[in-house]
Amino acid sequence: MASDPQSAANQRIVEDLVSRLRRRQLVGSRATALETLLVLRQVVSKARFSNIDQLVNIIRSVGRRLVDAQPKEHSVGNTVRKVLHHIREEYHTANEQPAAESSFSIAKFVLQGQPRKQATIPSSESRVLLKENDPDDPDSFARVLKPVLMEAIQDVFDELETVYDNISKNAKDHIHSDEIILTLGMSKTVDSFLKAAAHYRNYTVIVAETAPSYGGREMAKSLSSAGISTFLVPDSSIYALMSRVNKVILGAHAILANGGMFATSGSLLAATAARSYSTPVVVCAGQFKLTPLWNLYHEYGALDFGDPSAVLCFDEGDLVDKVDVVNPYYDYVRPELLDVFITN
Amino acid sequence: MAPKFNAGKENLLADEAEVLQAVILADSFNKRFRPLTTRKPRCLLPICNAPLLDWTFESLALAGVQEIFVICRSHPEQIKAKIAESRWSKTGSGIKIVPILTAKETFSPGDAMRDIYTRGLVTGDFVLVMGDLVSNIRIDEVVKVHKERRKTNKDAIMTMVVKESGANHRTRSRADSAVFGLDSETFECLHYEPVMGYPPSTVASIPREILSAHPDIEIRNDFIDCAIDICSVEVPSLFQDNFDYLDIRRDFVHGVLTSDLLMKNIYCYVAKEGYAARVQDTKSYESISKDILSRWTFPLVPDNNHPAGHLYEHRRGNKYIDKDGTVILARTSTVGSKCLIGSSTKVSDNAQIISSVVGQNCIIGEGAIINNSYIFNGTTVGPGCVIERSIIGFDVNIKENTRIDKGSLVGDGVIIGPNAHLEAFGRLSKKRGIDTVDDEDEDEEDDYADSEEEEVEAAQGTITVNLGSGSNAMLWPQSAPDEDENDENVENAKNQRFMRLGDSASDLAFSDAGSESSDEESESSDDDSDFDKRLELPTSSSTSLDLPDGSSTDGIAESEFRNEVRLSLERAFTEGHSVDNAAVELKTLRMASNVSLSRVREAVVSAIVERIQIIDGGGIPQRQEIAHVISRWGPLINKIGGVDPVETIAALQTHCASSKRLLLFGQILAALYQDDVVEESDIRKWHQSLLSQGLGLSPGVRTDNIRKCWEIGSRMIQQFDERDSSEDDSEEDGGDAGNNTDGNEQDENEGEDEDDSEDVEDSSGED
Repeated sequence: MASDPQSAANQRIVEDLVSRLRRRQLVGSRATALETLLVLRQVVSKARFSNIDQLVNIIRSVGRRLVDAQPKEHSVGNTVRKVLHHIREEYHTANEQPAAESSFSIAKFVLQGQPRKQATIPSSESRVLLKENDPDDPDSFARVLKPVLMEAIQDVFDELETVYDNISKNAKDHIHSDEIILTLGMSKTVDSFLKAAAHYRNYTVIVAETAPSYGGREMAKSLSSAGISTFLVPDSSIYALMSRVNKVILGAHAILANGGMFATSGSLLAATAARSYSTPVVVCAGQFKLTPLWNLYHEYGALDFGDPSAVLCFDEGDLVDKVDVVNPYYDYVRPELLDVFITN
Repeated sequence: MAPKFNAGKENLLADEAEVLQAVILADSFNKRFRPLTTRKPRCLLPICNAPLLDWTFESLALAGVQEIFVICRSHPEQIKAKIAESRWSKTGSGIKIVPILTAKETFSPGDAMRDIYTRGLVTGDFVLVMGDLVSNIRIDEVVKVHKERRKTNKDAIMTMVVKESGANHRTRSRADSAVFGLDSETFECLHYEPVMGYPPSTVASIPREILSAHPDIEIRNDFIDCAIDICSVEVPSLFQDNFDYLDIRRDFVHGVLTSDLLMKNIYCYVAKEGYAARVQDTKSYESISKDILSRWTFPLVPDNNHPAGHLYEHRRGNKYIDKDGTVILARTSTVGSKCLIGSSTKVSDNAQIISSVVGQNCIIGEGAIINNSYIFNGTTVGPGCVIERSIIGFDVNIKENTRIDKGSLVGDGVIIGPNAHLEAFGRLSKKRGIDTVDDEDEDEEDDYADSEEEEVEAAQGTITVNLGSGSNAMLWPQSAPDEDENDENVENAKNQRFMRLGDSASDLAFSDAGSESSDEESESSDDDSDFDKRLELPTSSSTSLDLPDGSSTDGIAESEFRNEVRLSLERAFTEGHSVDNAAVELKTLRMASNVSLSRVREAVVSAIVERIQIIDGGGIPQRQEIAHVISRWGPLINKIGGVDPVETIAALQTHCASSKRLLLFGQILAALYQDDVVEESDIRKWHQSLLSQGLGLSPGVRTDNIRKCWEIGSRMIQQFDERDSSEDDSEEDGGDAGNNTDGNEQDENEGEDEDDSEDVEDSSGED
């Protein structure tokens, strides 16, 4: 049968994304989330299934492959989980009486995600036609459900598209006039958050240059071009400047279930320095970065060690032989060092 | 959103229209890994538990190559089988891999290129790599640069990828590297000179024409040659046309760069980012393993994108342990940093593994110490064994208390021990005969390997070593066959030491070449490829800057060429050819024997000088003779294809210094001056150069003579100066000066006995 999860998982488009993830040609949590979504949409649109379990199995197996390809891009798994959730939800609304939608609670927040804005399907139609495992017409189930599912996926898509805007909506509530903000690394989320606040407030940003990636330089350029008064400082002076800083705003790579996070290396330094001055640490991150895993920090490799050439140039022939250099991409920041999360 | 998808698809299709092809030369064409490679091609040796070929495929896949031709020579079935079972042949990998079996007679990369040409495999620009490449360089970027360049310059036929590293980088081969001369702006490769560890060379000679044509030249001796070449379609056909090209670098690149006929350009791409290196010998095997484990090849690292698809857990200190949970590490065992341990491997109590790679299904016995070694799958190391800096093949059984010293290679299926001791740099393989039947089944045309093993077996009588009671191994003689011409292994034994695992070759590194062996010997056996008995390409096709005549490095071709020039000129002299005709003949000769312009000039100058007859008593008749010859043949010097009067004078000087016509030097120079072959400024320039003063040459009669010539030159210049200052007769300047000069020479000739003392007086007076 065409719904064999294996064959779905081996589709060309899946394979393509898998190899790009493996080869690190696709990096960054939002980019990977978007690509994952595109692949899932393609898979769903091509899949043949006659009941919900088959569909879920297909998506699961594709998701498994993608996650295995690059376990360190947590947003891939998150996106797959979110799509699965939407599919099940869609299925239930289509199958049952549209019961009074369960109230959203903080406890369920992570699982459910953002409240769906509109009931997407004209309920009358679906209720009548939805029929699983119809022996006469095995495709009828898929035919009816597919448009609904596509819309559900589209919703996830829209959410990803608008994530920056939604996060920066709250910016003016968090940044006050004449504050001094410290940030580091290049994070689109933080960038748009700060720029949004600049419309209302007049404040100063100190950007640590974040060696060895030097994302901070890019960030500083971007911010100052938006008219925000910006200082670029070396990482070593973070602690020295911390006494003057009112707030530390960081981006995240992934937020774990225990409240800790993975973020650009250097974040731990900033967060620890902030703790000693009791400066609040604010983390801006889209919902797709919320990861139900929590014990990853036990794994040494979870920090994702990169190529040492950024730290020690390969030209230094004599040293290469004698020195072992590690170059982690991420820091694990413990939950007790973080104060506020801002999501969409 | 659907339309967007379609657009994306169309883009994909458009990309596919221009398929990027790659050719992998999966044969090494040498034997540095023997005996590991007797029954297995080198490209299937594992490095960090994945076959080298998989690393190469991954490197190419990273660059978006869509079609790969694998040229295999030895053990092609194994390569085919490996490709068939690898993940690359699955649908969806997006890469088409075609194994191409070439004839057994393909003995060099050049032959393989000719085979590519005859088969018509490539249709456009293609990537040429060796089957032992480990790289994460974005080759697609290089291809883009190459194509861009091709748009403006159709003669840019090749782009070589080189990686900057220090000269002493561990991954840079000392035995087989090169000096590159690059144009600083365009990165055109202007000069390529191979460098070997032995015989050591301290001089790189850059042809003069290059220096004059390019204002900015970088001379680099710190590149790792990645052997990634972006070639255009012409490259295989050039190999076809020049059937004596064997090696891609030494013959092809060198040939193209020095040829006046081809007029093709080769460019270099200096990779700033990324990693690329070739496993070309056991030493680089070690350093590349270490580079992979220290993550220089990221994202191609064991825990992320392992080419064989294994999953490893990355632990603190760059330890990689297979993730599937089948590895058993005893509580008291220690695994040091930079180690890789494959699945289902068991490390017993008190065993120590330090900076080593252990394959799958291995058993490391109690208290064994494995230090900087590479152990392939299925090997058992008994209790109490010590293995230092060695490579141990598949399914080897090392029984208890055996000691294997550094640099050893142990072939597949060997059993050693117990209590054996393998000395440093020992090479072991399994005795034949035990399972000959098996071998014949799997590899029918393995007579080649067999014959080699036979030789080793024949040598067994002379070797007595304790390999333990249960051993089935035979020890390969220690580089003994090197003297034997029948053995194909013509790799310079000393140079090979630079390629050997664990051999620092410190005793060879800077020792004097002369003390170890004669120049002749090292020339004939220098190359890195077994089958590479090159025609003697002139090693001094360029003017060596510190030896004016470069005669110490002249090869056979060189002397042949001189002889030809002499004969041709003689004919021209006796038959009274016109200068133009003689020049054409010389040009043809030069093309045929592929020597540089300066050589031709030297030959012509000396032939002309020899043409001048010495007339006893000198005087006017002698002067007339000189004037006659020079006015008749002098113009030829500037018609051989380039004008470089300074060099002409230098050639004249060096020739006169070692000839009977030393005393005529001044007169000949004056005659040349009168015939406008050389100008005053040229003489001054020559006079100022250090070489003309005989500096830096070993003292001897010849050097004295060179100095004499220089002093004659000094006097001439003195006259120029006097004439300039007095400015008597500006109209007849030239003639006047000429006369004066002649007069002076005349004096000198007449007072032969007092020559030296006069010279001294003159020059001191001048000062």
